[in-house]
Order: sequence, then structure tokens, then C-alpha cells
Amino acid sequence: MTITAHSAAPLTRSRSAITLLAFIVLLTMFTTASAAELPSDSIYRLDIPLVDHNGAGFHLADRRGRPQLVSMFYTSCQFVCPLVLDTLRMTERSLRADEQGRLDVLVVSFDPERDTPIQLKSVFDKRRLDSERWTLARTEAPNVRKLAAALDIRYRVLADGEINHATALVLLDAEGRIVARSSVLGEVDPVFVAAIRATLSTGARP
Amino acid sequence: MDDSAETKIRMGKSMNRLVLMFVAAIFLGLPGCSSRTPGVGTPAATAETGGSAKGDFGPPQGEPIHAVLSSPPNVPPPIHRDHPAKVIVELSVIEKELPISEGVMYTFWTFGGTVPGSFIRVRQGDTVEFHLRNDPSNKMPHNIDLHGVTGPGGGAASSFTAPGHESQFTFKALNQGLYVYHCATAPVGMHVGNGMYGLILIEPPEGMAPVDHEYYVMQGDFYTTGKYREKGHQPFDMEKAIDERPTYVLFNGAEGALTGDNALSAKTNERVRLFVGNGGPNLVSSFHVIGEIFDRVQQEGGTHPQENVQTTLIPAGGAVTVEFHTEVPGSYILVDHSIFRAFNKGALAILKVSGPEDKSIYSGKEVDSVYLGDRAGADLRAVSTAAEAHASGTLTQADQVAAGKQLFAGTCSVCHQNTGEGIPNVFPPLAKSDFLAADPKRAISILLHGRTGPITVNGKDFNSVMPPMTQLTDDEIANILTYVLNEWGNPGGRIDKADVAKARAESAEPAPAAH
Amino acid sequence: MQTFHNIGLAVAMSSILFASQGFASDYVALPGSNFASVLPAVSNGPKDAALPPAPVVIHAFRLRDEPVTNAEFLAFVTAHPDWRRDRIARVFGEARYLSHWQAADVVGAKAKADQPVTNVSWFAAEAYCESEGARLPTWYEWEYAAAADESRADARGDPEWRNRILGWYATPSNEPLQTVGGAANFYGVRDLHGLVWEWVEDAGSLLIASDSRDQNDPDKLAFCGAGALELKDRDNYAVLMRVALLSSLKAVDTTANLGFRCAKPLDGQVP
Repeated sequence: MTITAHSAAPLTRSRSAITLLAFIVLLTMFTTASAAELPSDSIYRLDIPLVDHNGAGFHLADRRGRPQLVSMFYTSCQFVCPLVLDTLRMTERSLRADEQGRLDVLVVSFDPERDTPIQLKSVFDKRRLDSERWTLARTEAPNVRKLAAALDIRYRVLADGEINHATALVLLDAEGRIVARSSVLGEVDPVFVAAIRATLSTGARP
Repeated sequence: MDDSAETKIRMGKSMNRLVLMFVAAIFLGLPGCSSRTPGVGTPAATAETGGSAKGDFGPPQGEPIHAVLSSPPNVPPPIHRDHPAKVIVELSVIEKELPISEGVMYTFWTFGGTVPGSFIRVRQGDTVEFHLRNDPSNKMPHNIDLHGVTGPGGGAASSFTAPGHESQFTFKALNQGLYVYHCATAPVGMHVGNGMYGLILIEPPEGMAPVDHEYYVMQGDFYTTGKYREKGHQPFDMEKAIDERPTYVLFNGAEGALTGDNALSAKTNERVRLFVGNGGPNLVSSFHVIGEIFDRVQQEGGTHPQENVQTTLIPAGGAVTVEFHTEVPGSYILVDHSIFRAFNKGALAILKVSGPEDKSIYSGKEVDSVYLGDRAGADLRAVSTAAEAHASGTLTQADQVAAGKQLFAGTCSVCHQNTGEGIPNVFPPLAKSDFLAADPKRAISILLHGRTGPITVNGKDFNSVMPPMTQLTDDEIANILTYVLNEWGNPGGRIDKADVAKARAESAEPAPAAH
Repeated sequence: MQTFHNIGLAVAMSSILFASQGFASDYVALPGSNFASVLPAVSNGPKDAALPPAPVVIHAFRLRDEPVTNAEFLAFVTAHPDWRRDRIARVFGEARYLSHWQAADVVGAKAKADQPVTNVSWFAAEAYCESEGARLPTWYEWEYAAAADESRADARGDPEWRNRILGWYATPSNEPLQTVGGAANFYGVRDLHGLVWEWVEDAGSLLIASDSRDQNDPDKLAFCGAGALELKDRDNYAVLMRVALLSSLKAVDTTANLGFRCAKPLDGQVP
């Protein structure tokens, strides 16, 4: 969305002052309006503070502006979680280079206790993830529950620290709305990739 | 030409004719050898259909069709289509309170508001887009497993729906046949026991032969904490369900669902087809229609029919298609022939067939005569003679005595002996009996109601029990008494059937004697 | 005119608030315990299936003695208008959120003030609890509190009691919802049975195969090594059905028979 300030024929000083004032007012209205204008079904309406693998803090809503591929995992998971990262990577790589450049990947841990930023960084390096676009992150347990609820990813923390969880790759558009999801693991889901392509080309869901 | 040559030529000619006739016979006869006379509505081939491997007729063609569902006992109209289509089925789950028996309410969980649920009818090869809706006022989540679906859970895995929500999944109907559908949410037995089942018919591609009536009947067993017909609202009883001790076994979810005004109907000389399912949850049905034979049975809802069947088994979670042709009017009772279920738990339904009688096929009762079993004397003709004579108004005392003698031999002589002398101290004598002579008509009520307690006959005391002879009809009693009165020095006289009828009417009937 | 209207509203609101605090539920304390839940706390492989389930450790906590009512929830949405039904974001509540109320700020004639509030999503329930320094109870806490009858801490072995609870499902849902305030159980908590389903904090952890007949054939990939949950006590049908209902819902969903209550740690602890 852009504002065009009309610069028409010669303005008197008062007129330009008024225009400037109007512009400022509009701008302020617009910025406050645009923050409130998050679509009703955007998950960025959740106020979730996270810390990434570099130890940097951010808010979930900071991801707004570019489509996101989101999933959840935890690092001590032996069984499926490595497959989650692999599947995310395979999916990413099935896109063209320019498409890849427009998509970010965010993976949030179910297990904030053990998945400290240092732990996340070690996994990040071991798997050689792309630091331009990939983020591994953690948040406190109540927020994990809320994020999983919004993404409709079910998980269960067992007494021994193991976590059982459903797996989903979720595609968000630039405004944070869930556009598509896939539970296919270990291979590329063509329907999901088509949805990613469509979202990347329009920038937002129509 | 010499004789032998001529003969040879003649023989040759007749041989030729013979050969020609023989060959002609073969050609004409061959079709007769290899053909079967097709039965009514039988598809010509007895070859296998090939099951699901041959059931995919390709992608759906044409506009999507919204399936017409029907409530029991009605069935949606037959399909007249020669290509696979996309069919949209919308089925709602509604939990509602309905009467299960008169004065007895039960909370049923239903597909489409009825027990059994709506009948779904599609064609083999159709792509079915299934919408399952869970009414917002319901308490429970539900799903659906259709036995005609090839896929995980029969659809149950893809249709788990919370109240106020809707699920959708799509399947291709690869196999033809008649299939049960039911809810499969835990505890499954409870959902099924509350009435969550119905039938889906996947028609063969060539369609089904036309009949005059198609009806939808489904048996189920029900478990309530109260006893059979105990009034009021009855809850589901899980213990009884686990122990397989049903309180009710019913057709179409209620006693009287298909009787009285709700009975199924047909006319004579019509062909009736019943789609009969068994939702269970536990019992297997021995399905029988009293007074009819199933001309054609597709056992278990399968493809190749059996003919001439009296009673067919319907497994729990199974179905059967039966057809029969009606000839004679009357009420034909559908039962589960595990017979206590029919008469003590409610498993009965009625098909009323109306139309002209045909005595050549079924005459109704012609003779009401006594069958004496192994007590019979050699000759029962006197009894039939008396019956005819009575019918024609020419009954004489002699006829009665003759008939009464034979009846006495079968019924009374066991105790009172052939000589009428009874057994001392046990059974009183009838021979020259002062007790009888004092009031002959009193004997009528003794035969009707029995007699217990002390009596004195010919100076001897007796105190015994004579059971009421309620198995005897009025004319039998009249004939027996007439015989006794005219035998062994008794005073004579005769008792009419009318006397007996009058005495019977003047008093209440006791319980029948064991026999 | 507008000011009078506002004052009137404020008076109404505060009187409701006052009144609701009058009935208001209290938080009652429940002692901690080792508790045998129907849901396993550790994943048992097939070889462990025969073992009795390892008990769950429940720390002492406080639980609201009654579910949250319409009146209390009205006070909440008045104080936090983002949760009004005409303002709630779709990501937090589906279209039928609070649909039984007459208006976004009026409970109305068809719903009573002291009936448990229903048609609320998990997000809304969680937000309410947070607004009073609480949270939703976990499944184990809820199950532990609900195992009690009037006189015993754990009545689950009593078939008579189990049947009584199962009987709730037999009553049709077309009768109006009762109000809160039923008999107190052993801990002093009311209405855990027979009134409404209730949200729990970890409703999203009920990993049930949606075809519940698959119990012995877990799809190990589906839930990261575990397959679906194996319910340990299959005789406790009432609990089975609660698990089924909660697992059929997403956090954003609402239904007409689902409400909630809140839990707090013991005094002085962090929620």
C-alpha cells in the first residue's frame, strides 16, 4: 500500500503547509491503522517473544512481510525431527533460486528447557542451514502451547522429557495467514510446493 | 444298374438326409445346450465382477450430482446412468430423544435424524464427496465408517468431527454391493448401540432389475438399564452391551416402527425387494419372512444370488438384499428367527399384502379337527364325519357318540380308562356315575375349567386335580360328553355345541393345561 | 445522552461484577498426589503395554470450584474488548464464538447469567484465566479433580459412579443448560460432571488416532515415535469420551456444550 502525495501545480505556502500536515496526519493514521490491520486470521496477532539460534530476541510478528515456511521440532528428537529439517530443505530446494530468495524458514522448538540458543546454534551449524533465510528459535512453554495451537500442531510432553508430536509444515503468507499445510515427511509434497509457488508470486493470498 | 448299386444310391440319399437332419439338429440344439434361462432380473453373466481391481471406471463425467438420501423404510429411486459421476452426499448427525417402545424414551444418536440413518444410493465407479456434519446442539464428536469405502477406517480416519463442525472426504466406490455404514468413535459399541448405522447401496454398473417395491429395513440390538418395556427415559447400559444381553432387538429403531399403520405394503402379484441390514452392535440375525420364501437372495449384499431361501443370516455389520414375488394377500411378518427376539424383544415388522385371494395357492383353514398324536385310535374318520355333518347341519346323536368315542380314547381314557372306571382313590369313574347323572350339564364346566378338591362318586371319596381341557373345542366337548352320557349305563341324552359355547362365554378362561 | 448511557453501562457492569464475585467461585486447594491417569505419562512400547501405567505426579494446586459463568465472562470481555465476539480475531475464535449471547455485550434472555459460559475457544478461555492470574488446568489436574465423588478422592473403581456419569450422555442436549452450583465433590469442587465439557491447557496434547479402532496399529510416523495414545483404562467410558471430544477440537473451535474453569498454583507460586 502506498500513499501518493499529489504535487500538482504551484502551491502557495499555506497550501503546502496544509498538505504537509495532511500528509503527516495520514501517515500517522496509516501506520497505526496498518498495525491494527493485520488480517483477522493472521497468526501474527499472537504476541510471542522468541530467541533465535544466535541469541537474538524477536517477536513472531516481526516475520511479517515475507512468506514463511514454519514448523516445530526439538533437538533431542532422534526419530522424526531430523526428517522435518530434511523435508523443509527438500521443499525449499524444489523452488527456483529467485523463489527461494523470497521465502524464510522458521522452526520453533517444543522443548525450551533443553533447546537453548547454544543448542540450537549447534544443530544449525551441524546441519549447515542457510543463515540468510533459516531461523531456529525457542520460546517459553506457555507460548509454545499457543503457537502450536495456532498452527494446529499437536504435541505431548512426556514425564521423561520425550515429546510426541504431530508433524506439519505450515505455509504463511506475508501477512501471517495460514495458506497451506503438509504432513508429508521425507519427500516433497507437490500440492504444497504449488501452493508455495502461488504465494510467492502474488506476495499475499488473494 | 444292378440292385446293389441302386440300393447303395437309395441308402446314400437317405443317409444324406439323415446326416442333414443330424447336422441341423446339432445347430439348432447347441444354443439350447449352452444357454441358461435367465431368471427375472438376473444379469446374464455368472462371471466374476473382478472386485475393486476392475471397479474403477475412470474419472467422473458431467455435472456433480447432489445425492438424494431417503429416510427408512423408503429407498431413493434407482439410478439410470451409464457413466461414473461425482456425487455429493451431505449427512448430518443429530442426537435426539425418540420413543423406543410405547412410553419408553431413549436418546438415540442418529445419522439424518432416523434409526437407521438415511439410505445412500450411488453407482459403482462414482466419486463420492462425503460431507459429515455434526449438529451444533450435539454433545459428542462423531465420525463415519462406510463399509463400501476402500481407504483407512472406511472414512473414519478422515471424518472425526466435533459438534458444530463439518468434515469432508472423497472416495471412489470401487465395489458394487449393499454396505453398512456406522459411527466409529470411541467407545464404538456405544455409538453403534445408540443407533448410528445405516446402509449405502453401490449399484452395479448395469443397474438393478425393476421391481414393484423397494424397502429399507435394518435390525439392531439395544441395551437399556431398565427392563423390556419399562416406562420412562431409559439410559444406555454398557454392562449389558458388553455381556451381549440386549433389552430390545428391533427393526428400524423402535417397537412398532414397521407394524400397524407403519407396516410395509404391497399388492398380490408384485415383486418386492428388501434391503435389509444389521447394525448390531452384537447380534447376528436369522432373517425370515413368515409365509414367504425369498425367491432371490444376494447373501451379505454380494453379487451372485442364491434362490429359494427361507431364512438368511445377516452378520452384525452386514446386509442382505432379498426379493420375492407375492401371490396371496395377508400380513407377512418379518422376524429374526432366533425366535425369542421376535416375540419378547420386539424384532418384528409387517408387510401387508392386499389383493384377491387365490385358494389354489393357499386356502385358509379348511377343517378344524383333532389330531390325536400317538394316543390316536386307528380311525379318526368319525371325527371328520361329525365335523362335516355339523357344518351341513345334519349332525345326529349317533355321529356325536362315534366322534366322542374316538376323542375320549385320545384325551380322557388316560385317566378315566377306556372302561370309564377310573382308578380307585385317584381318578373317579365315569361309568354309571351318580355324580354325572345328578347334573349332566355340570360336566361341561368341568371340562372347561377343571375341578379340584373333594368329590364323592358312587360312594367313594376322591380329592384330586383335573386340569381344564382348554385344548378342546366346543364341538369336541359336546361330542365327548354325548358319548360318555350314552355309555356304561349313564342316563343318555346329548350335549350340543351351543350349550358348550354358552357355558364358555359365561365364564372366564383359565390358563391352558400343559400338554 | 451518551454519558448517561455510559454511566448506566458502568453501573450495570459493576453490579454484575459485584454480583458475580458474590457467587464467585472460589479457588479451592487440592493436595498433590501420585495419580493413575488413563493417559500414559511415558510412552510405553508394546512390550510395556501389560505393565500398569506409571503414575503421574500432580503437584498441589488450586482449582476454581465452579466453571466460569456467562456473567463472569461478560465482565471479562467488557474489561478486555478484544475478546468481544464482534472484535475477536478469527485466529483466536471461530465464527460461532459466544453465539448464544444476545449481543456482543449482552448475555440476553436465552442464556442465564449463572450458566457456565459455552461457545468459547481455547484461546479465549486461556485469556480469561490469564486475566485473573491463573491458567487452564492441565488434563491431569482436571482428571485428578474429576476422579472424586462426594465422599472419596478416587471413585473411579466404582461402576455405579461410572454409570452415573455415563448417564449424562444419555440426556438429550435440547434441554436448557443447568446453572452452576451442583453438589461439591470430595475436594469441594462442583460441576466437573454432568454440566459441560471443559477445556484444559493441554487439549492439544491428546494425540488420539481419529479412527480410535487403530489402537494396536500405531502409525509411528504420525506422532513422532509413539503412534497414537493408548488409553489405559478402557472401562472408564466417561473419560474416554472426554478425551475424544477434546481431541476432535482445534484451539480456535467452540461448541455449545464446552466451557472451562481456571487453575492457580498454591499461593506465592508462579502460575
